[in-house]
Amino acid sequence: MSDVPMFWRIVRRLITANYGRLFVILLALGAGAAITAALLNLQIDAQRRLTTEFRALGANVIVAPRDADANSAGGTLEEGLLRGLPAENAGKPVPAVAFLYVIGEVAKAGEIHDQAAVIAGTEGQGLTRVRPGQRTEYSAELEKDPAACEVGAKAAGQFKVHAGDSLRLRNQGREATCKVFAVVATGGAEDTQIFSRLSTAQTLADLPGRISLVQLSVTGTPDSIERFIAALAERMPGADVHGIKQLALAEGKLYNRISGLLSATVIIVLLLTSLCVMAGMSNVAIERKNDVGLMKAIGGSVRRVVRLFLAEAILMGIVGGLIGSAIGIGGSIWLGKSVFGVAAQPRWIVYPVSVGITIIVSVASAFPLRRLASVRPASVFRGEA
Amino acid sequence: MFLRLVADSFTRRPKRKMLTLAALALGMAVATAALSVSLDVGDRLAEEFRSLGANLLVTPEADSLPLEIGGVDYRPANAGAYLPEADLGKLKTIFWRFNIKAFAPIIEAQVKATPYDMDYFPDPPPGAAYTIIGTWVNHEVKIPDGTTYVTGIERTNPWWGLKKGRWFTEGQDECVVGKTFAIKKGKSVVPERPGELPTRDDLKPGDVLFVYKIKGQTPVRLHVVGVLDTGGPEDNAIIAPLEVVQTFAAKPGQYRRLYVSALTKPEDAFARKDPKTMTPAEFDRWYCSPYISSIALQISQELKGTDVRVIRRVAQGEGTILTRVRALLWLVTLAALLAAALAVGASAAASVIERRTEIGLMKALGAGSGLVGVLLAAEQLLVAFVGGGIGYAVGILLARLLGEKIFGFTPEPKFFLFFIVQVLASLITLLGSVYPLRRASQYDPAPILRGE
Repeated sequence: MSDVPMFWRIVRRLITANYGRLFVILLALGAGAAITAALLNLQIDAQRRLTTEFRALGANVIVAPRDADANSAGGTLEEGLLRGLPAENAGKPVPAVAFLYVIGEVAKAGEIHDQAAVIAGTEGQGLTRVRPGQRTEYSAELEKDPAACEVGAKAAGQFKVHAGDSLRLRNQGREATCKVFAVVATGGAEDTQIFSRLSTAQTLADLPGRISLVQLSVTGTPDSIERFIAALAERMPGADVHGIKQLALAEGKLYNRISGLLSATVIIVLLLTSLCVMAGMSNVAIERKNDVGLMKAIGGSVRRVVRLFLAEAILMGIVGGLIGSAIGIGGSIWLGKSVFGVAAQPRWIVYPVSVGITIIVSVASAFPLRRLASVRPASVFRGEA
Repeated sequence: MFLRLVADSFTRRPKRKMLTLAALALGMAVATAALSVSLDVGDRLAEEFRSLGANLLVTPEADSLPLEIGGVDYRPANAGAYLPEADLGKLKTIFWRFNIKAFAPIIEAQVKATPYDMDYFPDPPPGAAYTIIGTWVNHEVKIPDGTTYVTGIERTNPWWGLKKGRWFTEGQDECVVGKTFAIKKGKSVVPERPGELPTRDDLKPGDVLFVYKIKGQTPVRLHVVGVLDTGGPEDNAIIAPLEVVQTFAAKPGQYRRLYVSALTKPEDAFARKDPKTMTPAEFDRWYCSPYISSIALQISQELKGTDVRVIRRVAQGEGTILTRVRALLWLVTLAALLAAALAVGASAAASVIERRTEIGLMKALGAGSGLVGVLLAAEQLLVAFVGGGIGYAVGILLARLLGEKIFGFTPEPKFFLFFIVQVLASLITLLGSVYPLRRASQYDPAPILRGE
């Protein structure tokens, strides 16, 4: 009966006998646990976050008319298609913008000389996200105007317009005016285009209810984007859904490299951290020789002695792990904020995992104690070894 | 005597020292590996980002507005301005010339094409006009300093993959066709049995394509040597050597667009400042940093009459991702260092605590607290030195393994890391020992020696 309380009493004494040592062990274990938890949490978060960051590259999926002859810009799609697009992928919204391109004659309002330019009618959420660029001029007030339009930097220079000016757009006798609310520099073909409301372009082209293409910016791992494209293509047999190879290829390559790098670094750091903790702990374990000698001398069996130390190790592992992992997860939230600008979401699976790892490390570092089985009490008491 | 004490402590009980040494070596190995990977990986990742393609676009300054939809310019060939091809060698003379990874000029023309030899029928065949894109592939550019540099579109646009065949050779009448174009423009196959419908073959390497100017007469014979897959509008076009298309556009020695792929430093707040508002010292610093904007300025200074624009989606995406990943890597490195420091500190502390008896004895024999402290510190430093050295060697191997597995490159072993690691090892060991050593110097020898 009194056997069990005695066991725990000895364990308690083992732990509390030397506060300096207790502190050292808990420090090593706790630090190991904190780093394990922080890195695991950050790594899960970073891989997911990376896919979001890639969207700085803009649209990566295009829905275009099937069999469109690229040279005639002839094929168009039904405008209603825009509403049938999935709103999100992997929990992230998918900005989608419909474009209708018209080549028309453009001039600053009040001037006679016009010049041919591409007018892109747009509709949908997130034009700035499918077409990343830098707005050198912008007025939120003017954007609300029903006839507002945005002008590419090069076109703005050509027509000498700024935010607030008006443009006259003409195509085959049809005419419209629009008010410039922003000037955008993208470095691409968009610099020479004029982005108007979709309805304006449709009127100019005399193509009511039609669009040239839809650009989507799909967030996700390369695989999930592939699946998105395949699913969309199945739902829209009349359209040609394809990824932009330039982005798909580069994103896939970069994603694999970066997440591979992160995983490898994290695994190696974890492995070596536990080895370091183990080495530090083993040092502490060896000085237990005297205790073991005494226990054996008064009749403790090897099994019991080992059980005692194992119980101690597990207890230490639990305490160090619980405290350290909590600190680590808290730390990773803050670290995530400093790296990605958004606090990393704590993932609760990380907590039990890192506590578990800490207990394993703690027990493993009690491993050298096995050698204590061969300790001969007599030689310990003589002060040898 | 002092040295003998230190030496004896190692030779008499090597096992105990071994454990501290192992902790140190492991910790320092992590530190070395993490540091050398993060030092190299930034540059490496920046190069990986070049697979996104060109980040600078050069166009004529005094140009009419390109009528570009889906990558095709609908302006007639005689509208708008062109740039001289002969100037391009100057790109490799700018301050950041080694950061220019690749460049390729583009000229386009509208043509009609047929796989049938219609010598007897000199007018262009009916049907839609196609775009023929002229550019460089494996082109040797003469640089003003007398050397040559090989570059081309396959380097600026790495996603332009050949489905079949090979790239054209410059100076030959060869071309590569887009995959959609290849399907549309194949020759009819006469059915084997009468009554069957004729089928159409795809254009494939080995075929000949007769290319006509829209209003021209004699066609140009181009040998198809490859089929291109870009996933873009080029899939529906013919790609031929620059000089071939210059003839079609009647613009010998000229081009319309130039794509430049440059290695850059991610833009920070300083890079976003307007160069015009900078002080001369700031301007020099900006000019001599490989920011995309300063490289763009340097290119426009060399190539007169050009407008050099930053392709925002590539440059911005690259900048943000690179900054984030670098920060992340440094963070992991820091975590590794911290873990190493704590483990090493803990084991150093443990090794001092366990030597209380020894310390008591030394004090009983008349050693002052200072001497005991110095003796123990000297021992720890020796361990730190050896452990740091072993750790460095293991760490370099580890970094090599990491680099090869993930990037297929070997990070250069950096010798200065050896010193950093040594200093780090000594510092951490000493820091870990300070508290127990302070405690040790306060020990009262009598109770310790009594075994209490």
